Amino acid sequence: MAVIVNNPLFKKLGMKYPIVEGGMTWAGTGALAAAISEAGGLGFIGTGYWHGEDVRREIKRVKSLTDKPFGVNVMLLSRHIREVFDVIIEEGVAVVATGAGDPSPFLAELHAAGIIVMPVVPSVSLAQMMEKKGVDAVIAEGMESGGHIGMLTTMTLVPQVVDAVNIPVIAAGGIGDGRGVAAAFMLGAAGAQMGTRFLTATESEIHPNFKAKIIKAKDIDTIVTGNILGNRARVLKNKMAKNFVKNEVNELQKEKPDAAAMEKLESGTLRRAVQEGDKDGGAFMAGQISGLIKDEKPAADILSDIWTQATDLMGIDNTTL
Amino acid sequence: MTDTEIFDKVKEILVDQFDLEENEVSLTTDLTNDIDADSLDLFEVLNRVEDDFDIKLAVAEDIKTTQDLVDKVKAQLAA
Repeated sequence: MAVIVNNPLFKKLGMKYPIVEGGMTWAGTGALAAAISEAGGLGFIGTGYWHGEDVRREIKRVKSLTDKPFGVNVMLLSRHIREVFDVIIEEGVAVVATGAGDPSPFLAELHAAGIIVMPVVPSVSLAQMMEKKGVDAVIAEGMESGGHIGMLTTMTLVPQVVDAVNIPVIAAGGIGDGRGVAAAFMLGAAGAQMGTRFLTATESEIHPNFKAKIIKAKDIDTIVTGNILGNRARVLKNKMAKNFVKNEVNELQKEKPDAAAMEKLESGTLRRAVQEGDKDGGAFMAGQISGLIKDEKPAADILSDIWTQATDLMGIDNTTL
Repeated sequence: MTDTEIFDKVKEILVDQFDLEENEVSLTTDLTNDIDADSLDLFEVLNRVEDDFDIKLAVAEDIKTTQDLVDKVKAQLAA
């Protein structure tokens, strides 16, 4: 099997590197997305539960910093999803990545506007369903990732999805250097998605406490909340995360576990981590690869260094797409 | 396709997917509580139902019981 690094999808977007930014609510700001796209990757604004106008503000920030294509990652569970898609279409965004739901009701209008649609998928069957509905690519994300996660690892999920669909598969979860990117190609992926690695980019606007926590983290320093009552999310260990897991166990022992009450405990904690650096009370969503990340450097250097290492390992010319 | 034929085919999928005996699946079987299906299992079921009946279903279908699944199939076949 030959490794094909210049997938037409990425060439069409004018990317230099087959590397995309993971969708990160609050942390995936316009400044970071612009830096990644400007350097030749594909930056993504993370939108979570934002209103349309919040999304528009970040889109305009990206446009003021680069003329390169970029994407918006949307949370389909958001009650503002209609207005978010309206803004995305009005602003002529190049790519939409989707999570937590089914993008197919919006697919026709997104495609009519020339927007590439790539849902995040946690399993083979969901990837197949998405392909049947006509999406352009899928992001197969393993549970090594930060934030909301599925059950399978990247190593097991990616090759099975690659075998099951005929659209490009982008590997995600646990990728933080050139070895990870090369491994993604070995598994048959067309590209790699990275989130945590970009959190410590110079252009990342997360609170300095958050960056410091990632740089200090070891391999074992993440924990999964929501394992018992649902809505699993990987975060860096702190008081909030450990208490949440303990509370979850206590809740389960009740006759009627109250999942909604647990969700309330989480409410606002991601923003507190990203913007306020609340060491004890924030949800520092980050992947298991945090332990590998030891420095802060410009997004352009992250991309260039990783691609140099990846192409060296794959034994191909260190050329861009 | 009759309701019984739809049910039989849906039952076949559930029996195979969850390694059940045929008598363990009825129209009132609750997929989450009786069969312990998680959300990934449900995607698998929906994917197979789409292929076997040659229909399209929404991923976020509100399906709790076998009856719900049969109703969705019926609605799609009639569409």
